[in-house]
Amino acid sequence: MRCANGIEARQVDELFINIDPIQAGGRLTGDAMKAVMAYGDGYSVCDNCRKPNRLDYISKPPIAEFHKDVADWLSMDSVRTVPGARRGFQAVAHTYVQKGDPVLLTSLSHYTEFLAVEEAGGIPREIPADASSMVTADATAQKIEEVKREFGRPPVLAFIDHVDYQFGNMHDVAAIAKVTRQYDVPILYNGAYTVGILPVNGKELGVDFIVGSGHKSMAAPAPSGILAASAERAAEVFRTTSIVGDITNRKFGIKEPEMMGCTLMGATLIGMMASFPHVKERVKHFDKELDNNRIILESLLSIEGTKILSEYPRKHTMTRIDTIASFDKIAETHKKRGFYLSSALAEKGVTGVIPGATKVWKFNTYGMTRAQAEYLGNTFVEIARENGLAVTG
Amino acid sequence: MSKRAVDMTFQAIYTLTDLRVLFRETAPTHVLDVKQKAEAERLLLNLERQVASLKQEMLK
Repeated sequence: MRCANGIEARQVDELFINIDPIQAGGRLTGDAMKAVMAYGDGYSVCDNCRKPNRLDYISKPPIAEFHKDVADWLSMDSVRTVPGARRGFQAVAHTYVQKGDPVLLTSLSHYTEFLAVEEAGGIPREIPADASSMVTADATAQKIEEVKREFGRPPVLAFIDHVDYQFGNMHDVAAIAKVTRQYDVPILYNGAYTVGILPVNGKELGVDFIVGSGHKSMAAPAPSGILAASAERAAEVFRTTSIVGDITNRKFGIKEPEMMGCTLMGATLIGMMASFPHVKERVKHFDKELDNNRIILESLLSIEGTKILSEYPRKHTMTRIDTIASFDKIAETHKKRGFYLSSALAEKGVTGVIPGATKVWKFNTYGMTRAQAEYLGNTFVEIARENGLAVTG
Repeated sequence: MSKRAVDMTFQAIYTLTDLRVLFRETAPTHVLDVKQKAEAERLLLNLERQVASLKQEMLK
């Protein structure tokens, strides 16, 4: 079935349980789907844009209120919407990083954080994760000392992922932020996998910035996200324009250079806004998500040879798994080779595992019903049994 | 044509969207429990009413 010329109607989430690690938290709510249909036209949210002509001042639809609500929800002072978390990293890096400045990242940081540093001319220095793939406050202090010895000054900015994209491990940002504060290093909390998934409180964490991803974790269309700042930092990153045209003497009001003026002006913003009440509610029930995740992991662990590479018990639903000694053994002789696993899963109505992956792979169980979690757990076990793998219990 | 016809079109789309959500919640088997069946029935009835009103508005 096509929705337009050459474009298949996407029915992935209607027909399958989708465990794609980056898609689970961005699935739209019904309200977001409805709002997107009504506001799909280009500058649709700008119908009632009045002076001072900036997106976050529009009151109909209630965009201004949304900005305030998100800031309150995260216990931060100011919020802007951005076209994806990466644009939040970019705005902050561009504000604080000059050519040759050292910037603190981690050995598990997302590549877009590196790109933001690169674009600003900074020099990345990674805090190493320990043997259990955790980034600690001690390692942070040690790395800052190393940077001071190397550059004669501390880093100008730190990017710390609360839950990293590689393992889905949860790092102690509050403890890390205590360390960065001791050195006066502004800290950006990367909540791409947490804001909209579980409770996040900027004041409690002690961070200067929070970046969230709408399309990864806030049930919003791509590209969307939020950048939240403390009052002190907001004045810096959300500074207003001062440029003047030399012929026309034009000035540009209260537009913000780091935001390039207005940011999300249509379906992306309205989708994020429509999902927001549901998102606020769902973060309160993250324990249920972990319960569902446990059901699935217990099934997977019952398949002999399967290992969880992420921290365990899990604190997040995105998980890295090692099936070299289980599903990959079948791939060695199966006529479909490594593709047999994604193929068998698809036949049973499960998608989101990279085709061909049977060694080390990731999946995300976020947003399932209990019945779907049980179905998924049973499906893994069934595929294992059908292919002669030993299953305990 | 009237605003009512436009409203009915949107309402019907929204009802169909609620059904879409139901498909998502029950994928891949789409076996509905009692509560979900009642919800589907309610939505389909609404849809019929909305399409009937739309017909009346557009074809009168």
